[in-house]
Amino acid sequence: MLYELRGVWQRYPCGPEPVPALRGVDLDVARGEFLAVAGPSGSGKTTLLNLLGLIDTASAGTVRFEQRDVAALDERARTRIRRERIGYIFQSCNLIPVFSAYENVEYFLRKAGVAAAEARRRVMDALEAVDIAAQARRWPQEMSGGQQQRVAVARALARDPDVILADEPTAALDHVTGLAIVNLMKRLNREHGTTFVFSTHDPKVLAAADRVVRLEDGTVQR
Amino acid sequence: MSRLWLLGHLAVRNLFRNRRRTACALAAIGVGAAGLLLFSGFNAGLMSQYRDNTVRAHLGHGQVHVRGYWGRAHPRPSEMWIAETQAVLATLRRLPGAKDVFPRLSFGAMIVFGETAVAGQGLGVDVAAEARFFDKLNVVAGDEGPGRPDGLVIGRGLAEGLGVHVGDQVELYARDALGAITSAEATVVGIFHTGQNEFDKRAFRLPLALAQRLIGTDRVETIQVALGRFDQWPAFARAAEAALPALQAMPFDAIDIVYYKHGVEWLEAQFGFIRAIVLLVVFLGTFNVMTMTVLERTAEFGTLRANGDGRADIALGQMLEAAALGLAGGAMGILVAWASATFLLREGIAMPPAPGITRSFRIFIELRPEHALQVLALCVGTAGAGCLLPIWRAVRMPIVQALRHT
Repeated sequence: MLYELRGVWQRYPCGPEPVPALRGVDLDVARGEFLAVAGPSGSGKTTLLNLLGLIDTASAGTVRFEQRDVAALDERARTRIRRERIGYIFQSCNLIPVFSAYENVEYFLRKAGVAAAEARRRVMDALEAVDIAAQARRWPQEMSGGQQQRVAVARALARDPDVILADEPTAALDHVTGLAIVNLMKRLNREHGTTFVFSTHDPKVLAAADRVVRLEDGTVQR
Repeated sequence: MSRLWLLGHLAVRNLFRNRRRTACALAAIGVGAAGLLLFSGFNAGLMSQYRDNTVRAHLGHGQVHVRGYWGRAHPRPSEMWIAETQAVLATLRRLPGAKDVFPRLSFGAMIVFGETAVAGQGLGVDVAAEARFFDKLNVVAGDEGPGRPDGLVIGRGLAEGLGVHVGDQVELYARDALGAITSAEATVVGIFHTGQNEFDKRAFRLPLALAQRLIGTDRVETIQVALGRFDQWPAFARAAEAALPALQAMPFDAIDIVYYKHGVEWLEAQFGFIRAIVLLVVFLGTFNVMTMTVLERTAEFGTLRANGDGRADIALGQMLEAAALGLAGGAMGILVAWASATFLLREGIAMPPAPGITRSFRIFIELRPEHALQVLALCVGTAGAGCLLPIWRAVRMPIVQALRHT
């Protein structure tokens, strides 16, 4: 099992009383899954993905990544796991605007210590896998939203992570482009065996998922 | 490709991200750097002028006297003067760096012209030899009287006090080594103007032989030394004291501690204060730019950290960016300072007389490589320091909060 969440609560300070974003969530994510997290805005999707991405820690309960309790890891260990094992795709791409598409993918590979020749091969493989290799030298601002999101997927994919987390990856895209991105992720899941966990509230995108976890008011709906 | 190279690459690219803001920061740092370097150059020019005047007007690069003589009163000073002068001069001339040596004898005397008498400080010198080196004595009337055994060259203030002109005869009254009053007739052959008011009001120069006859001695009080370069003094002093153990060698800035050394220290303290103000301006400029930059990129930092960049990576990247800004701004400032000194200020800056000085003078900007390097280092360091607080705030922010930042 890649992730095991037990009785996870997440509360955020807001006024005199902390507001719970997750209320006792139990969830298992197996390797190779293509899992969608669905729910309306404010249901806790992003909070859940943040916990899975080790960029936040739960207020209560246990989050295990490969059987290791995330709360017991220090910041350095969590950073290493994020760098080596987890890829993250955001709703608004968040590409580095002063780097070309190629450099956006290459930067994190080189930071992870991958040698230049190997990095070049992996960058081009990743860009080809998301059908954007022809745009490799273009700047983010010269690309459409869909193309930028493909670069973001390539950036996450190139590092060959165990899991790619995507927080509403299609929300900023038109329906056709959004569906193309999800189909792309699905193909990568099948071809590379990479686990995908993505959040959405688009029913047509949900249809592509192997499994859907529905959140409402911070609880998993059975 | 190392981690530092990657971060440096990103830092340099980021400089071109908001060109107007980068240009503003570069302008602030560049103006500061140019100001600092020009002021350093002005200060160096002033010091050189000051040093040159002191050395070439009357002190030389230093002097040799009997050990224990200088700086204290003696009941019979003549016993502490240098004997066997010619042998000592010959020894000193052979020492490393020595270009010329000038025996001197100073004494207090009364100068009488008609019914006017003024107390002055006489200096017996080798007139012909000194004329070759002491070219800043600034003789404003007549000459230094080479070949005139009774020739007197007096300070302008003293000449005005006595009401004498070139060609006038005066009487000199002094006490000899045994305390008896002696006198001699002399002719005013020149009037000098060093610019140091107090000195010019009291000083007069005359041939050494005449001074020795007045004082009744064949000794000299000091021997001034002219070297090829300033930095040769320590070696010369060591050699002189080794060859002539009874004598002490003293550099010009120690002899003229009140005017020269204190003057230099005062100017350096003033420069330090102005430098601190300029650096504060550079610091605030960089701080402002980096605060805006960090605020603007907070969400991006969240993305970088979510993808595995550590806090140290983010901080180092921003510091490299600030350092690159400091380096570029500093280099631009150095270029501006060089162009200003070479073209705009080529003729120097006319300065009014300094306190206690009656001569105006011209300062030439002296840009030195070590000052340019110092300015560059200060710009880089100050720009780096200016980004610390905004970066510290940014990297302490939780990733989820950074990602939400707009």
